[in-house]
Amino acid sequence: MRIFKLLISPRFIGFKNSLKRSQSNSRLKILTLAGTGILFWLVLFFFTYRVLAYFSSQEMIGDILARHLLAMVFLTFFSMLIFSHIITALSNLYLSQDLELCYSSPASLAELFLSRSFYTVIDSSWMLLVFGLPVMIAYGVVYSAGLNYYLSLIYVSFPLIIISASLGIMIVMVLVRFFPAQRARDIIMYLSIILIILLYLLFRFLRPERLVNPDAFISIAQYLGALKAPSSPYLPSHWATDLLWARLTMYTGSQILNYLLLWSTAFAMVVIDVWLAGLIYSEGFSKAQEAKRRSHAGKRMLEKIVSAVIKPFGPESASLIAKDVRTFFRDNSQWSQLLLLGALVVVYLYNFSVLPLERSPIKSIYLQNALSFLNIGLAGFVISALSARFIFPAVSSEGRAFWIVLSSPLSSRRFLWSKYFAYLLPMLVLSEVLIIYTNYLLKVTPFMMALSSVTIFFLVFGIVALGIGLGAVYPNFHHENIAQVATGFGGLIYMISSSVFIALVIMLEAGPVYTILSAHFKGVSITHLQWIWVVCSFIGVIFVNIFAIKRPMAAGLKALNSYEG
Amino acid sequence: MITFENLTKIYSGIKAVDNLNLHIEQGTIFGFIGPNGAGKTTTIKMMAGVLRPTKGRIYINGLDIAKAPSKVKKIIGFIPDRPFLYEKLSGVEFLRFKAGIYGMTGNRLGEKILYLLNLFELSDWADELIESYSHGMKQRLIIASAMIHEPRVIIVDEPMVGLDPRGAKLVKEIFKEWASKGATVFMSTHTLALAQEVCHQIAIVDNGRIVASGTSEDLKKQAGVEGDLEKIFLKITGGVATK
Repeated sequence: MRIFKLLISPRFIGFKNSLKRSQSNSRLKILTLAGTGILFWLVLFFFTYRVLAYFSSQEMIGDILARHLLAMVFLTFFSMLIFSHIITALSNLYLSQDLELCYSSPASLAELFLSRSFYTVIDSSWMLLVFGLPVMIAYGVVYSAGLNYYLSLIYVSFPLIIISASLGIMIVMVLVRFFPAQRARDIIMYLSIILIILLYLLFRFLRPERLVNPDAFISIAQYLGALKAPSSPYLPSHWATDLLWARLTMYTGSQILNYLLLWSTAFAMVVIDVWLAGLIYSEGFSKAQEAKRRSHAGKRMLEKIVSAVIKPFGPESASLIAKDVRTFFRDNSQWSQLLLLGALVVVYLYNFSVLPLERSPIKSIYLQNALSFLNIGLAGFVISALSARFIFPAVSSEGRAFWIVLSSPLSSRRFLWSKYFAYLLPMLVLSEVLIIYTNYLLKVTPFMMALSSVTIFFLVFGIVALGIGLGAVYPNFHHENIAQVATGFGGLIYMISSSVFIALVIMLEAGPVYTILSAHFKGVSITHLQWIWVVCSFIGVIFVNIFAIKRPMAAGLKALNSYEG
Repeated sequence: MITFENLTKIYSGIKAVDNLNLHIEQGTIFGFIGPNGAGKTTTIKMMAGVLRPTKGRIYINGLDIAKAPSKVKKIIGFIPDRPFLYEKLSGVEFLRFKAGIYGMTGNRLGEKILYLLNLFELSDWADELIESYSHGMKQRLIIASAMIHEPRVIIVDEPMVGLDPRGAKLVKEIFKEWASKGATVFMSTHTLALAQEVCHQIAIVDNGRIVASGTSEDLKKQAGVEGDLEKIFLKITGGVATK
């Protein structure tokens, strides 16, 4: 136990030290992050509260819907916890840099395994726990639950987390037993993509929108039948739902079986995990240290891509871009995420294709144009989200090798603008495809088609500049995984700035566009004053765009020039 | 040719480098030695343009690095102590990348890369990703990449870290050959035997200041001791080890 405590202590000491020694600007970062977290928390609480309040106002089916939702929430949490534990267990148990040190210590295998599992549980579950809480509190408030309910939350979630952690860790140990850890990471990546796509398809096939529209069903019995969730009495999430529902509805019957099931499963899973670790953990760790040899598959294809991409650039920029392209495609965690985001883009487009425009009570032509306008914002947001993951970390992607750039004759200006132009073209193409295709599905007027295409075209210049510029202002060259970069404070600032920029452009365009469209549909002419307003607004848009390009790039350049590695 | 004028670097109130003044002639192999935390790596990083001095100037071949950073960087080759590289590039791709950011193109580049890979015994690993290289191989690759643009000044921090005896001998010979052709080598090291063997001039730095400098003979006189560089070093820098 003493060694176990020692093994987990560095994380706590490090956390305490970073809090103690945090400077005023990092305190500001913590405050901003905490503020955003609290805001998100409140939004989640009020949203759940509203939904549950609406359910409880529905006689007969209200409680069924609420229970159904609770079961869905628990099933989702449970699956997400398993998934999250798989991801973190791989790095905590096999890939972390401090593992060599721990392995060479006289700690027993069980202590070592349990300490790394402890890290895994902390890393994977705190966020879900924090963000699950507003949903659970909303249930408590709507059902006026007593103290018992809130206490149950603790002794229901704890075993649920332990079960999911043990399952996740078990899956990882078995995977790494048969594949090297690096390969196992790739496999997990592919599996997760397939899993998410399948989950989405399943969700779409269930057509959840029907459940809030009882008119679509011929009889109440049919509706209630549709509500019935697939029964899953062997799942821990089912036991947790039963327990909490009993507390919410003041059900007086015994819940002892559910408690016993939850806690005994949790204990059993831990015992099985420790036993399994004794059998296969150290062998897997040893395998994880093996170097991965280069795969020659796809090498020619990559070279073709590289030579096509670098063609328009001079030798200095071309080298930098070629290096970035190669690194991107060889880092599986990068392009597999691109695949996932690609799937989300397809989902986004698919949703537009199934919009029931013809059944809307609003005149279709108005709705189509309004939606097309809204679509500029949505497409802008999709591009921003993609940029947050791929463009914002572009500067940080140099990592610890940034000394090579710093000590080279390549100027910071050229470095930054090379990165900018390398990302600009693919983003322009993607955004135009998104906007033109969705507008085509919406059957908008040629005016709206032209306006959306031009607006998104110029928005992309600003979104990319914000990503590259702010990425240079908030670089993280010491990351272990590039995906971490976007989740930091800088990433948050980028998403806020980018959203404000898109909103500003749309706000400036919304009024004039409404005036022009109204005049067109009503067959009246636009007054001189209105024309002046229209022109001023569009000039405003141009200024906002120029500002969004120049300001972040200048700030990024200044930050790079004063960076001391 | 390297010149420092009142070179100073202050980190959060602590002087890491304190008013250094130095002039190194062309074709010299210069050893910069000192205890841990003496300011060697900070000085080297300022010379490479990775850090900016708080005060003072650095001239490389007569060019002020603060005023003409790109021109200076074109003529220097920097070899850091820790081999952080782009792990997802192969050795040959990394050398091409390095040549590219120095503006080098043309048909002869391929030959040059092959020559360097052969010289540093990396040909068999040329197409493997750097992530699969050993520490010593990465160090050899960094040294090869620092040579690719034929620098007039080589700035190197702990050149022998991770190198096997063959690699170490090779590097020593390369430095000597480079200096004989008129290049200047500025080398920070803890390997005193290496400094004694290859350096024409040596400076001992302690607490950010140069406490002794000159040839090995000059240092003996300044320290007032006979024997090898280790004895001189311990005498000048003091500490428990001298007792």
